[in-house]
Amino acid sequence: MSENDHLESPNRPIRGAVEDAVLNIKIIGVGGAGNNAVDRLKMDDLSHVGLAVINTDSKTLNASPIAEKLMIGRTVTRGLSTGGEADIGRQAAESDREAISRLVEGVDLVFILAGLGGGSGSGASPVIADMASDSGALVISFVTLPFTREGQRRHKQAEDALGLLRRSCHAVITLPNDLLLQEIEEKSTLLDAFAIADDWIYRGVRAIVSMLNDHGLINVDFATLTKAFSSRGGKTLFGLAVGTGPDVVGSALRELEVCPLLHLPENKYVRKADSLIVNITGGPDLSMAMVNEVLDAVTEKFSSRENTVIGAVIDGSLHNRLHLCVIGATDVDGKRYRSARYRGYREQGHTAQPAFVESRSQASDRRRDEAGVSGAGTGESPALPADDTEPVRETATVGEPVAQEEFPFSRIDDSRGFFEETESNMYDGVDLDIPTFLRRGIRIHV
Amino acid sequence: MSQKRIIGAVEIGTSKVIVLVGELDGRRHLNIIGKGQSTSHGVRKGEIVDLKAAAGCTHAALIAAEKNAGANIEGVYLAASGSHLAGFANRGVTNVSASDGSIRNADVARASADAKSKALPADRVYVHHMRTGSLVDGRRVDNPLAMVGERLEMTYWHVHADERKIQNMIRVVNGFGLDVEDVIVSSIASGSIIASQEEKAAGVLVVDIGSGASDYVLYRNGCIQRSGVIAVGGDHFTNDLSIGLRINASNAENIKHRCGKAIVDKRDKQEQVLMYGDLRIGDRPIPRNAIYRILHARAEELFMILKNKLGSALNAQNLPGGVILTGGGSALHSLGEAARPVLGVEVRLGESPSWVRDIALRRPEYATVFGLLYYGLSAQQSDDDDAQDVAGGGLFQRVAKIFNVG
Repeated sequence: MSENDHLESPNRPIRGAVEDAVLNIKIIGVGGAGNNAVDRLKMDDLSHVGLAVINTDSKTLNASPIAEKLMIGRTVTRGLSTGGEADIGRQAAESDREAISRLVEGVDLVFILAGLGGGSGSGASPVIADMASDSGALVISFVTLPFTREGQRRHKQAEDALGLLRRSCHAVITLPNDLLLQEIEEKSTLLDAFAIADDWIYRGVRAIVSMLNDHGLINVDFATLTKAFSSRGGKTLFGLAVGTGPDVVGSALRELEVCPLLHLPENKYVRKADSLIVNITGGPDLSMAMVNEVLDAVTEKFSSRENTVIGAVIDGSLHNRLHLCVIGATDVDGKRYRSARYRGYREQGHTAQPAFVESRSQASDRRRDEAGVSGAGTGESPALPADDTEPVRETATVGEPVAQEEFPFSRIDDSRGFFEETESNMYDGVDLDIPTFLRRGIRIHV
Repeated sequence: MSQKRIIGAVEIGTSKVIVLVGELDGRRHLNIIGKGQSTSHGVRKGEIVDLKAAAGCTHAALIAAEKNAGANIEGVYLAASGSHLAGFANRGVTNVSASDGSIRNADVARASADAKSKALPADRVYVHHMRTGSLVDGRRVDNPLAMVGERLEMTYWHVHADERKIQNMIRVVNGFGLDVEDVIVSSIASGSIIASQEEKAAGVLVVDIGSGASDYVLYRNGCIQRSGVIAVGGDHFTNDLSIGLRINASNAENIKHRCGKAIVDKRDKQEQVLMYGDLRIGDRPIPRNAIYRILHARAEELFMILKNKLGSALNAQNLPGGVILTGGGSALHSLGEAARPVLGVEVRLGESPSWVRDIALRRPEYATVFGLLYYGLSAQQSDDDDAQDVAGGGLFQRVAKIFNVG
């Protein structure tokens, strides 16, 4: 498959000359929290990035300094908020499908920023993500999850929305608010706490965008990125680190080791990513040896080298500093979601909305092709035992199928004590399997 | 009637499968003649999630135990745990039939049958009917037989379970070619051996903290009053550490055992411990304070849930015997100190009875299997004594009288 295939959408030609193709990137904030996050993103150093905000609440929209605004659900909420009802948020988005499709049309890479748990964020963002990916864009979402303290209802709403988002986005990066409490000092203000979430989002978005646009040692083109995220529905690993001092690589790797985002309860089980993107941003002194060192350490931890895409970017303003960003995708449970989703869409397309039939089925065929290709490339990896002890991993990568047959328990043994295969352990509205200190917001210094 | 029987006590736990082989000699003697153990697979939070894996390790433990004992196991007593277990109180009422008003066996049986007759949803099955007491004309009596009255009430605590989950466990043992004589809830098994008769009469709460779940049983007036399961166990402590300290599970388990503590100790606030502590490459210092705070939060929550579940039954007046902690999870340093302020009663660690000679077997994680063997001994006795009293319905016919009376 040639790389340009990924850029082509069935209903849209590439704009401009191929040599000089400019990626159209758009960051869309959905709902109150999403709007705020976009407002606060300082994107001066990022060119070719469009910002947009979508909300049901006209007041929040008016307060936003972002130029491109879209009010959805005028007929549903009359310009008011959804009152925290995800259903109303979804209806609002459904009622303004045309406006949303105009907003995402012709965009190659869509970032959706939203706070899940409320109405607009939880209800509308899955619809928007769906439409964006159907129009051929690569969709990456950064979503915050509500504090456990906010109660069961918001939690449930967020969980449901997250499930929907995972199916319609190519990557969903979750930032649980509970984690914010871990990161802040005891005396810090609410603004400080949300500034951390904003910073995470900013660094994640920036890492991806700069990898595509900036010039560096190793550039990643959009096709590679699309291919890495071709499967949907899986979980996404996301980790950030900054290294400073004389041993920048060492300190960055150490920080990556303790990055809280890599240690979310749900990501505990995503030991190996099926595709991994590593972006390194360093000063002019960044050497190939340093890149190699990072690559060695990161691939060993998260993936195999075959499935890793690396980008290295030079930023003249950085001296003796190294920014690391790791994004990994799994398609372990993506396959199930994908098939269910396409079956559902076929039926829906034929009966309810004939206007969408053609583009949808084409889009799905195209995606299935991609999935087939990536599946062939990574078909082995989901079956490998997720094991991080040295000897077993060695034999696994060397590839001795007999050795694997002999240890049918190794996978279970490795994850024993963790609760991924059990039902959630609800008591009084909270999941007891999630660490108590996280739910209570007790700060742990590591 | 003097006969020797070789029975096995099997606990398919979340972290390990333990098989204890006992020889019942006559009616009063129990000799422990063998032990087998294997690392558990396919079990999470006390429930089987992978039947094949669980069967593999259970059979390995059974083989080891039979080899160790040098005898073939004739029957198995099986421990059940997991959050699918639930219980409720129900009472049976009958009018005394005799003209002179004296209560006979038939009256007791009728009231008991009435108490046990409550139908369960289709996929649930009774595991135990625990007699919690009897009332004659509204007055509490220890034994209603031959007393005079008009109205007899028998109160019971019923424990029921998910039928398929219980059957899965039975199938694992059956797959080895052994019959399951009875299934006993873990907490009831360990409670029977850990608490003394005096404590059971006065009121005592036994909490068995396993790897995947914690079982508890509350005794008063010599009878089991309440039992239950909280789906939080030692694995949750490990998992919390692993997430909080950002280390893998085996390192977290190691740290928990090496330097874990369930209370936050102000003294060594600044102190740090090494992750491996053996000069290995990649070692990393971890503040003690972080470890303690994570473990303390989980321990406090566990006992908070226990307190909420038991409600008013949990106070110093009702529980002169206090709380006894047992099970592998109770080995966590200072767990009792963490429990005391939350529960508001005395908390101590359980000890296996002094007749257990092997020091290794006195560790708290063996309390359940000992309880199972003890159960086997008592069941044998009640077989001989009066089979009539235990002739209840349900899948598990033999509900040992000894557990009801103490």
